[in-house]
Amino acid sequence: MKGIYYVVILYIFLMLPPVANLMESVMIIHMHMQMTLFAAIGFLLAPGMIRKFPRFFEEWNPNGIPGLLLFVLVIVYWTLPRSMDEALNLWYIELFKFISLPFLAGVPLRDSWKKLKSSWKNGLIIFFTLLFIVMGWLYIWSPNQLCNNYLLIDQITLGWGFLLTAVCMIIYLAYSYITDLAENI
Amino acid sequence: MEALKSYDWKDKANKALGISQEDARITKSYLSVAFIAILFGGLLGLLQGMNRAGILELPVWANYYKVLTAHGLLLVVVLSAFFTIGYFYAGLSHTLGGLLPKVRKMAWIGFWMKIFGFVLAVIPVLQGDASVMYTFYPPMAAAPMFYIGLVFIVLGVWMLAFGAFINVANWRKNHKGQHIPIFSFFATGVFVLLFFGSLPVAIEVFYIIPWAFGWIETINVMVSRTLFWAFGHTLVNIWYLTAISAWYVFIPKIIGGKRWSDLLTRVVVIALVIMNITGGFHHQIVDPGISESVKYMHVFMSLAIGFPSLMTAYAMFAVFEKTARKKGGKGLVGWYKKMPWGDVRFLAPFIAMAAFIPAGAGGIVQSTNQLNQVVHNSMWVVGHFHLTLGMTVVMTFFGVSYWLVPYVSGRVLTPKINKLGIIQTIVWTVGMVLMSGAMHWVGLLGSPRRTSYSTYFDNATALSWDPYLFFLAIGGTLLMIGVLLQVYAVFYMMFFAPKGETEFPMAEEEEDATPTPMWTERWGLWIVLMLTLVSMAYVIPLVDFIVNAPPGSPPFKTW
Repeated sequence: MKGIYYVVILYIFLMLPPVANLMESVMIIHMHMQMTLFAAIGFLLAPGMIRKFPRFFEEWNPNGIPGLLLFVLVIVYWTLPRSMDEALNLWYIELFKFISLPFLAGVPLRDSWKKLKSSWKNGLIIFFTLLFIVMGWLYIWSPNQLCNNYLLIDQITLGWGFLLTAVCMIIYLAYSYITDLAENI
Repeated sequence: MEALKSYDWKDKANKALGISQEDARITKSYLSVAFIAILFGGLLGLLQGMNRAGILELPVWANYYKVLTAHGLLLVVVLSAFFTIGYFYAGLSHTLGGLLPKVRKMAWIGFWMKIFGFVLAVIPVLQGDASVMYTFYPPMAAAPMFYIGLVFIVLGVWMLAFGAFINVANWRKNHKGQHIPIFSFFATGVFVLLFFGSLPVAIEVFYIIPWAFGWIETINVMVSRTLFWAFGHTLVNIWYLTAISAWYVFIPKIIGGKRWSDLLTRVVVIALVIMNITGGFHHQIVDPGISESVKYMHVFMSLAIGFPSLMTAYAMFAVFEKTARKKGGKGLVGWYKKMPWGDVRFLAPFIAMAAFIPAGAGGIVQSTNQLNQVVHNSMWVVGHFHLTLGMTVVMTFFGVSYWLVPYVSGRVLTPKINKLGIIQTIVWTVGMVLMSGAMHWVGLLGSPRRTSYSTYFDNATALSWDPYLFFLAIGGTLLMIGVLLQVYAVFYMMFFAPKGETEFPMAEEEEDATPTPMWTERWGLWIVLMLTLVSMAYVIPLVDFIVNAPPGSPPFKTW
């Protein structure tokens, strides 16, 4: 249980204005590190919440699919250039980012993950792989600045970050396909 | 089922009969090259130390930079890699029931590729056409043959890495549901890092070769430096991971104890594999072209690598104290008397561990932006890596050699050689403390690294370095004595010691140990996580360096 306190400390630390400002000063760190960390915080907080409110999760997320959809919606929303701009310009959108990523993405993902069949899990990774390829293409080859707050070079870097992450996910999928994890380990 | 049975039989036979002659020959060859390299590398180090102290003027044909390049290559590229490979291949053979015939073949092909590559690289160095030091930073350019030699060295390493993967995969196929034996787990981690860590330097060298030939006019200096350090820092940590494998697996057995926490050990390996490569950035902490915020965030990445080291320190002292108390050791620190101080197989690695306390602290200093600016490119840095590599890693290698060499040679460690080993350990410790201490101190006073002796027109500050540089030379002389003793001990144990059986001292797990979860075996996942982290870490500076590339630099010969 002590672990939860560390997660809460990390959550508060990441929301501190100097820390948040530093991470948001680089586009790719804003999207790929800060946002991932917030989702990860939700992921780590989830077991405690599921223990505390078992009926709620059972009622709203019986087979894991609603949680998965919520996760996908929230994450896709935060990959849009405009959502990043708004998070930087409007305090309530920034607050929404701090709340939505842990509690509407990280927590539902953790609750859904163990309830989902492996086809859904792989489907999710394939979906994000395709999404990341498209986003990579968009950010690298867009001739215009898509975010008012970031330079074109930041955008290109983010695009390459998307493509590289997609490559990593493809490697993971290939690894899961060629190794039968349950049998091998 | 049949296969399983035959493997169990093979395991037992292996344990009873010791290593097969063919597998032993591989390790003996690798270790021989490693210790010949330390003999020559050490001699060149002594010449440099003498020159740096102003005691010895090198002849024109052997200037300081040429000697420095050869010293670095022999010790950084040859000694460490050849020892690591020989050591792990002996362990793979022991723990996985012998090397597969094709893996054996790969080990020999890799061996000759590495030797061929090294010969190709060393010819231009001796001719004075490649005094670029072991970091070979562009825009300094060596003769193309130097880089072609490096390509063969890297290809040889890959051959060995894949040999290890094939052997481990084969074992896993025949032992479903079992953990990879801990020593082979370390070997897997090391070869994964060797392969993925050498990818960036391979890209760099393929980029440098056409530039060195003059087929392309300019090179992007920052891209090549970044690729180099993605490899350079990983290589450093590969040696460290090799050293700690001996601490975790063999030291408990040598002191008469058991391994403590298999899970912790495996988590340390996984953490080091995932987080290592990005550590390269702290070598570029004062480089231009990387924004301050990115450097600042990389400090976290570098310090994260320190975390598994702290776990290791905890685990080691837990094993020491538990074992000593079982033997009747008492008191808060009084238990230390029960440790086998007279056994070189323990003493050398123990001093190596102790040296990592100041060495690790020095590393943290260097990865901190402001402190780095005080010591950057000064002799401090040279002192730091002589403490980490020259003590922590190499003394562990020395300690290992006192059982590994007799084990692969079918001979025994005699009390006389053990005594010689103790003397060697003391000589080496005093020598390295003097030399590395002097280097750290004189670095703080401003003495630069990689610079031939100069009084800078009798400048008072430069003259004030001289007493420290004297200590450096005295330490270097003691180290050369240490090298001679060690090389003598190794070849005596390999060819002349009395015949007999030496065990491969793998410690067992504690009886009441909790079973290690199987998720630790998901190597594919660890590799994907490592690749993701590396992509995230490198994408920012590399995209910037390439998209906003300067005109680039033509080759320079500065010597």
